[in-house]
Amino acid sequence: MDIAYYPGCSLKASSALYDVQSRRVFEGLGIYLKEIPDWNCCGATSAGKVDDFLAMAMPARNLGIAEATGLAEMVIPCSACYSRTLVAQNRLEKDPVLKETINAELSRKVAGGIKVSSILEVLLTAVASGDVAESIRVDKKTLKGFKPACYYGCLQTRFPEAVPVPDDVENPQGMEKVLKALGIQALEWSYKTDCCGASAAVTDADASDALMARIIKDAVARGANCFVVTCPMCQLNLDAYQDRIGPKHGIRQRLPVYFITEILGLAMGMGVEELQIDRHLTDATTLLKELELI
Amino acid sequence: MTVPAHAYDPEAARSLIDEVSERSGQNLLACYQCRRCAAGCPVGEETGYVTPDRLIRMIALGDRQAALENELVWRCVSCYTCGTRCPNDIQTARITETLKKMAKEAHLEPLRPKIADFHSAFVESGVRWGRVNEMEFMGIYEMKGALRGMKKKDFKSIAEELKTQADLGLSMFKRKRMHMGLQVSAGRKEIQRLQKKASQKKR
Repeated sequence: MDIAYYPGCSLKASSALYDVQSRRVFEGLGIYLKEIPDWNCCGATSAGKVDDFLAMAMPARNLGIAEATGLAEMVIPCSACYSRTLVAQNRLEKDPVLKETINAELSRKVAGGIKVSSILEVLLTAVASGDVAESIRVDKKTLKGFKPACYYGCLQTRFPEAVPVPDDVENPQGMEKVLKALGIQALEWSYKTDCCGASAAVTDADASDALMARIIKDAVARGANCFVVTCPMCQLNLDAYQDRIGPKHGIRQRLPVYFITEILGLAMGMGVEELQIDRHLTDATTLLKELELI
Repeated sequence: MTVPAHAYDPEAARSLIDEVSERSGQNLLACYQCRRCAAGCPVGEETGYVTPDRLIRMIALGDRQAALENELVWRCVSCYTCGTRCPNDIQTARITETLKKMAKEAHLEPLRPKIADFHSAFVESGVRWGRVNEMEFMGIYEMKGALRGMKKKDFKSIAEELKTQADLGLSMFKRKRMHMGLQVSAGRKEIQRLQKKASQKKR
């Protein structure tokens, strides 16, 4: 099955590993990601703070390009890109004047209709069809060693305006369901939709470190041996700053922060290099050795 | 502090609440001060007196300066928790986002200049190239900060900031998470034309 694919800027730069993994893992599930041509930045959360019109116009152009592919669905693994694109689609549908203003300058006009999906929505379809369970190539017992805290962050379920949300807003279960199909029991914990601070890790470190400390402390207290995430911003923050936060907030433990595609890829028998798990900033391979996955 | 209730002038207050309501798309008058937003705000410990409900109150009382210059407007992380839990569907994060823009238009020095610099550098990079280039926009962001520090002769904080970013940069470089090439989208011209048209319309 072909599906339109919007990687977004971070999957082409600091989180390029997520792009590589997504393509490989989806291919293993018989889903082929067709990157939409000449896509542009979605504006992320920043655009809404700087220019409301751009916050709609930037993702709108990508919607026009995606519709022109003729594919019925577009997957967006990055939570910020997913959120901005879904919100823009929803707004343009409700505001024909805005749609017309933006369409006037676009070579690929937005008509509406393409389904914008998060990575979890697509994976959950593959869970329901049995494709995920069938893709497992390793001994299922080794996977049982994962004790993950599934961390969703903000933008997977909370939106600046009302859009249809495919999961529970306060206690989402999408990642837990995907992992369950691999025989992995995720932990119950309290901070799965709390904010990591996003860009505050750079601009307001006191605030972001306090937020991340609460998240890491709860995961550790529940006995987690790793985080599993879908958002590249959450991944980078939790991955890059544990050594800064630990001493400040009295946390000795360090938890690897896996993209959900890494767990899926490992279950499919892919290796560390193939999935680029060696590009993490917090050690992510020791646990895999302990579990005898590598 | 905000305008005392006995000094409240409904006519004078109206212009502010109308402007914020229209631009943010939020019905501020629906707020009945239940404070679910305040209870859920993850940066509540950082923003002192100002919680989302109190920000709405400031706006309702017409206190423009207090509304534009407070910690919540600048330190809000746009996690959208307040709005998701609001029984009246008021998304306060859209209000803080709106007030940031209004502060800029009023030529006020942002209370947290680094935060303002970050978001404008990010969007400028996205519009300039069609895609955000992390190295470029972070470079511009750091330069803006360093220039500001130099004006204040605050060399210590410049050195600290550069060291923090250099450490992060080095560890990212080692893990091949730094992208050196320039990402470009030809469609940036369409975005730039749209931006130009919109800004002409505003004037």
